[in-house]
Amino acid sequence: MSRRVSRPVRMTRRVLVGALIGGAVLLPLLPLLIWPFAHGWFFPDLLPQTWTLRTWRYLISPSARIGEALFNSLAIAASVVSLAALVGLPAARVLARAHLRGKSLIEWLFLAPLIVPGLVVAMGIHILFIRYGLADTHIGVILVHLIPALPYFVLIMGSVFANYSIELEETARTLGAGALRVFWHITLPAIAPGLTVAALFTFLVSWSQYITTVLIGGGKVITLPMLLFPFISAANHPQAAAVSLIFLAPAFVVLAFTARVLAGRPAVLGGLGRI
Amino acid sequence: MKGSHSPRAALLRALRSPYWWLAPAVLLLLILFVGGLGVGFAQSLNYFPLIGLNSPSLRAYTAILTDRGFWAALGLTLYIALTSTVAATALALGTAVALRANHRLNRWLTFIYQIPLPVPHLVAAAGIAMLLTQSGLAARVLYATGALERPDQFPALIFDRAHVGVILAYTWKEVPFIGLVILAVLKGVGQEYEEIAQTLGASAWQRFRYVLLPLLVPGIVATTVIVFAFLFGSFEIPLLLGQRYPGTLPVAAWRAYIDPDLARRPEAMAMGMIVTVIVVALLAVYRRLVRRAW
Amino acid sequence: MVKHLGEWCRRTVRRGLSMAIFGVLVSVLLGACATAPISAPTGNADSNADSNSADATAAVDTSVSAYADWDAVLAAADGATVNWFMWGGSDVINTHVDLRVGAPLLADYNITLNRVPIENTADAVNRVLNEKAAGREQGGAIDLIWINGENFHTLKQADLLYGPFTELLPNSALVDWEDPAVAFDFGVAVDGYESPWASFQFVMEYNADAVGDAPPQTWEDLRAWILANPGRFTYPAPPNHVGSAFVRQLFYWAAGDVTPFLGPFDEALYAEVAPQVWAYLNEIKPALWREGQTYPELAVMADLLANGEIDFAMEYDAARASNYINQGLYPPTIRTYVFTTGTVANVSYVAIPFNAANPAAAMVVANYLLSPDYQATMSRPDELGWMVAIDPARLSAEEQAVLEAVAQGPATLAPQTLRDAALPELAAEWVAIMNADWEENVLTAP
Repeated sequence: MSRRVSRPVRMTRRVLVGALIGGAVLLPLLPLLIWPFAHGWFFPDLLPQTWTLRTWRYLISPSARIGEALFNSLAIAASVVSLAALVGLPAARVLARAHLRGKSLIEWLFLAPLIVPGLVVAMGIHILFIRYGLADTHIGVILVHLIPALPYFVLIMGSVFANYSIELEETARTLGAGALRVFWHITLPAIAPGLTVAALFTFLVSWSQYITTVLIGGGKVITLPMLLFPFISAANHPQAAAVSLIFLAPAFVVLAFTARVLAGRPAVLGGLGRI
Repeated sequence: MKGSHSPRAALLRALRSPYWWLAPAVLLLLILFVGGLGVGFAQSLNYFPLIGLNSPSLRAYTAILTDRGFWAALGLTLYIALTSTVAATALALGTAVALRANHRLNRWLTFIYQIPLPVPHLVAAAGIAMLLTQSGLAARVLYATGALERPDQFPALIFDRAHVGVILAYTWKEVPFIGLVILAVLKGVGQEYEEIAQTLGASAWQRFRYVLLPLLVPGIVATTVIVFAFLFGSFEIPLLLGQRYPGTLPVAAWRAYIDPDLARRPEAMAMGMIVTVIVVALLAVYRRLVRRAW
Repeated sequence: MVKHLGEWCRRTVRRGLSMAIFGVLVSVLLGACATAPISAPTGNADSNADSNSADATAAVDTSVSAYADWDAVLAAADGATVNWFMWGGSDVINTHVDLRVGAPLLADYNITLNRVPIENTADAVNRVLNEKAAGREQGGAIDLIWINGENFHTLKQADLLYGPFTELLPNSALVDWEDPAVAFDFGVAVDGYESPWASFQFVMEYNADAVGDAPPQTWEDLRAWILANPGRFTYPAPPNHVGSAFVRQLFYWAAGDVTPFLGPFDEALYAEVAPQVWAYLNEIKPALWREGQTYPELAVMADLLANGEIDFAMEYDAARASNYINQGLYPPTIRTYVFTTGTVANVSYVAIPFNAANPAAAMVVANYLLSPDYQATMSRPDELGWMVAIDPARLSAEEQAVLEAVAQGPATLAPQTLRDAALPELAAEWVAIMNADWEENVLTAP
């Protein structure tokens, strides 16, 4: 392969590659933009025969329960992130730095829930949750979301803490700062970017949970994916696409926030494909 | 130090132990995750006095291991996970190499490239279905260009035996994930070594084959293993885009679980356990490959 | 290298064992923590936040015998919430229930209707089974289920239904309980454990543009059409209820008569008739959509019809085609028809689980669904267009007139046409066997 490729050829190649990659990524999302406004869009029409807001009118109506689902999804995901951060920050710090006995076993404990399907764990624990009154409750759903979310948070924060220089803290401490001040003024600002990314992606893990919410929430706790799934399986394209768009919104917020950071720390932040 | 061996000092030392920091998280995961699996395992052995299952037996396991449907499901799951992983890895390699050069178009492209990462599986399934059914958007575009006249002339990619739609959806989701890992190596260490090789007079192919590839292989293999494990246990996309029979193993487990015939419940747990064992084994392989877990 | 591998295997096995022991210990601990079955609702303070009288029912007897008369039921139902678990896949049905059932209930009876959308009625059945297994004898999550057929059979057989309660409902007098189509749900005696909601009948939907004005109205004609038009027909795989009905009707056709199937399972008859049915289905198989290698879900089949990938669909809801045309999910050329030999008709009911938190309020809902006003509203094509479950002969002259005046949607057949073609459903025990055998003889056959 000669390096002396002429400029126009180089440009064409770049544009071609760009079109291929961009197209492959964006094409599956394209129908989602058209269907919510379509009425009577059948083969072979490239565009709908009639444009309508009927779909959105139904979604806004109380029967659609979008408001409730949105609130539940947001509240549950936010709670999951808070809880994960609360117990996960100290855990991540210790795991990244300390030399522990049984560290390998503990690492297993934090890696396995990311890979073992949530469905399997939820099926196992379901009957116990009913027994202890945790089924059909928000708390129960939050707990079952924590199973993949907590290890995920710890995984990301672990890598953040691994790259974190503890000297600053030690310096501050020798200068007489108390533990809390050290945390607030030294640790937190230093880990803030990584913490933001971890929080956002952990949020997405909870946000995207479907089957575990169905199982443990028992249809009483309604989240967005639970509204979405019946529309997809019923091939109700307008509703499926509309709810998909609402469901996608936070994902793109996260992406915009973290894209630059992602390019630097891909594997961990790629979510292990978790989302 | 005076008093450093007193019980009080010992207590204080114990309280400062790092294990306390770990305790809440570990406890939570032990109860929920390990407990959940344990209880599931017990139910698969038909032993769970709490709900009246008092006769431990391997009945569930023998039932599914002798069921033709189970083996078909297992085979299908392996096939889908393997094909998707291989396809995603190949495409990730190609696209990462293409995105490596540092110019403005590539910076935009890298951003677009990452879009599938946070997209939930349900949405990916919906989008792929709307695009690739025989009367989907792709077919309609082909119709507009005159390439086909009827929907059945478009290849059957959804609900087909080869589960092409499922594989495409998985590939779409996983390519950026693997690709970013590769890109990190290419742009980091890869860059340095490549420049050295270049000054030593290596051709582009030689640089790729003898410098980049060895650097990439460990990362690629490890990532591939983890992607395979995750796809193996994945549920939503095959449920929505796959054929009803036999269904992938997680889907079959779910169907068994919601069957009104309670006798199928232990079978559902048994299938879940088998999926867990396979996936954990893969995780062990992954950990072996990535010596540092973090 | 091998020694290395062996060492690694040993370590991994040791770790795996220690993890497994951990897991067993934890689960034994959890199990040991709760050896006594619960008698009163546990943790219901947070778990039944919207079923507000959970604590009250712990002390109150809510069995049917506790209510002396309808007024007592109304009194108990005042201010209660009813969690009605029903299929949530149709926005038309969802809106209708919220506006035409929920709103009047709140206004007239002070009952809050909480419609819980589920993917499949089996999910609700499963829920009740799980609650029973977990010892939840009161304050259950479900108050009312939209149900019939096998799901009803499962719950009734396991003694998991509340009742018999239909005697208490004043509007129950409007139902023709003498009619076996109402008194028997897939051959299982209703016995007052479920209350009717609407009537349904199996219809074939087709694209009039593609098929023409005279669709194949006999099973022989249908077979001939399928073979002459490969790839344009399909049916949902049993145990989907519509696909199952399609196969069932072939049994009627093969036997030439419906009556033998109405009783308990007849081994001899089945052995005689089944081969003919499988022969029919296997004969048309290569000419089906995707060559019969896969069968679509019910909703996907509708999508295929809408986009012209196939020319036929089928449904129990005779008004679905009209509803879909309204919603823009079907092109306006879709029409429906029934076979000259008839199609199966059945009734959809609502049932109350044994551990419902608010059975009184649930009964009020069931009663409301039987009211002439509501049934007339329900049958309007701009509402659901469903067929009524009450007997028009038992209504007053004005009420009858109102029902008669209801028009049909563009694709819906006239009620009389449907009634004339109605065939009864067979007993539930036949269904399970037919579904299983279909899988063996048609789906997985070469």
